[in-house]
Amino acid sequence: MTDQASILIIDENHVRAAIIQEGLREAGHVHVRWLNETANLLKHIVDIDPDIIVIDLESPNRDVLEQMFQVSRLVRRPIAMFVDQSDSASIRDAMLAGVSAYVVDGLKKERVKHILDMCVQRFQVFSRLEEELHEAKTALADRKVIERAKGILMTAKSLSEQDAYAMMRKAAMDQKRRLAEIARAIVMAEGMLK
Amino acid sequence: MKTVKVGFIPLIDAAIPIAAVECGFAEREGIQIELVRETSWANIRDKLIHDLFDASHMLAPLAVTTSLGLGNAKVPLAVPFGLNANGNCITLSARLYRAMEEVLGHPPLDARQSAQALKRVIDKRKASGEPPITFGVVFPFSVHAIIVRHWLRLGGIDPHNDVQFLVVPPPFMVANLSEGVIEGCCVGEPWNSRAVESGVGSIVVFGAEISRCAPDKVLALRDEMAAKEPEAVHRLLRAYRAAARWCQNQENHANLAHMLAQPQYINVAPKTVLNALSGMLAVNRTEGRSMPDFLRFEGDEINRPDPRKARWLYAEIANGLRQNLNTSQAEAAACVFRPDLFDTATGNNALPESQDPIGLKFGPAFDSNNLQGYIDALRG
Repeated sequence: MTDQASILIIDENHVRAAIIQEGLREAGHVHVRWLNETANLLKHIVDIDPDIIVIDLESPNRDVLEQMFQVSRLVRRPIAMFVDQSDSASIRDAMLAGVSAYVVDGLKKERVKHILDMCVQRFQVFSRLEEELHEAKTALADRKVIERAKGILMTAKSLSEQDAYAMMRKAAMDQKRRLAEIARAIVMAEGMLK
Repeated sequence: MKTVKVGFIPLIDAAIPIAAVECGFAEREGIQIELVRETSWANIRDKLIHDLFDASHMLAPLAVTTSLGLGNAKVPLAVPFGLNANGNCITLSARLYRAMEEVLGHPPLDARQSAQALKRVIDKRKASGEPPITFGVVFPFSVHAIIVRHWLRLGGIDPHNDVQFLVVPPPFMVANLSEGVIEGCCVGEPWNSRAVESGVGSIVVFGAEISRCAPDKVLALRDEMAAKEPEAVHRLLRAYRAAARWCQNQENHANLAHMLAQPQYINVAPKTVLNALSGMLAVNRTEGRSMPDFLRFEGDEINRPDPRKARWLYAEIANGLRQNLNTSQAEAAACVFRPDLFDTATGNNALPESQDPIGLKFGPAFDSNNLQGYIDALRG
């Protein structure tokens, strides 16, 4: 099934925009455009003249779209609605996922809902990817600092590797803190005592 | 202890909610505030009306339009506290400012003279077929747009036909001025100072030169929350009142500047915040100006939400939208501002001051009992 509604995605995050575009195309939406240029945004939107606008919530540019609810010399075709205000649950889901959508002309509610749901889903996929990446980075950084702290303890207290690790482990358990936090404190203290 | 989630935009006029948390005023009143930084007023509005926030820092006109359904949502809000008066500036691009200096033969000396000089520049540009001047404002419904319109009228410029307005989020204001997308803007600090520092613009008017006490940002809640959780609202209001007093006191300004400047709040240099707090700004590369009332946080006429101010906002909004006045909407607007909540929470018995609640320094006098007369005078 192909859908002729033209969809404009406004998102400065290239990766996320690619994920959404892909999802919409897979769902049969052929007219999907992506805008990452935020200067002169209103003019770009008026030129592109989309039926639906999808925008990420991190960008202050959402306020620019507020101007499109009224016709003016700058806006020929006003936004008819910001999703469906009566459907609070789906707006909340979208907000929590970090996305919102605007309908420029009288498109049917169900079609808009379908598109928004798809975007919400893709935003969530992106957040998960980001989280995983963040976790991986943190884990790597933790491992590095734990290794360093272990080395410091081994030298300072003439301990074996195993005993140095056990000492940090015990301190973490006693103080109910993460092992990496203890390690960071040791590394910092060593820096100051040098 | 009850926790309320409060949204804010990183601006100096978010000082009261931030100080309420940082100085422990909220805790002292037995309420915990969880501050959530947001990037747009649209996000603020939608998170408030869809229950993701309990309360928020909000543009005063946005609280009115959201309650009346004049924007894209219609949910009744309550404003039990005003957060500030003034603090905005009108800044023009370096090129436009030079053109005004040329027609005058000297730099404009005050708001009236600068508006008159702008009128002459606009007339010249019209005659030579140049495009109209575009002003950047932070939101369609903002006191910023209202201030610019008043200033333009002062020079005999028709705000609806002689210029254009474009919504530009504050962080993008300087870039838009520099690229010529807009040639003037009305925005709060630190954005005017950024334009001056980078040589992109000159500040021509302080908002306090246009009005004494126009409501700028307010505390907004869902009407439903005000009805269902009066105790929490009262605690919040008492904390805000204490924070307002603390923020207004000059002795605390250095501390307040450091507090607001932190990365989790506004994330700028403390000096920039301090300049706005003290009302001493560089207006162009060679001159500075000082105005003690540049930005005010405290006093009954600021904090106590006067329904006459809501009526004024409604009249200005209707005028901006070029709509006719609707008496029932004017009444509905007045009901958004809730002095009853403020009075109950703070034990305030004072009747509203009889003087003009807005204190416009130019143009038609505002009479809250004759909105039609006021709008007619604006449309002159």
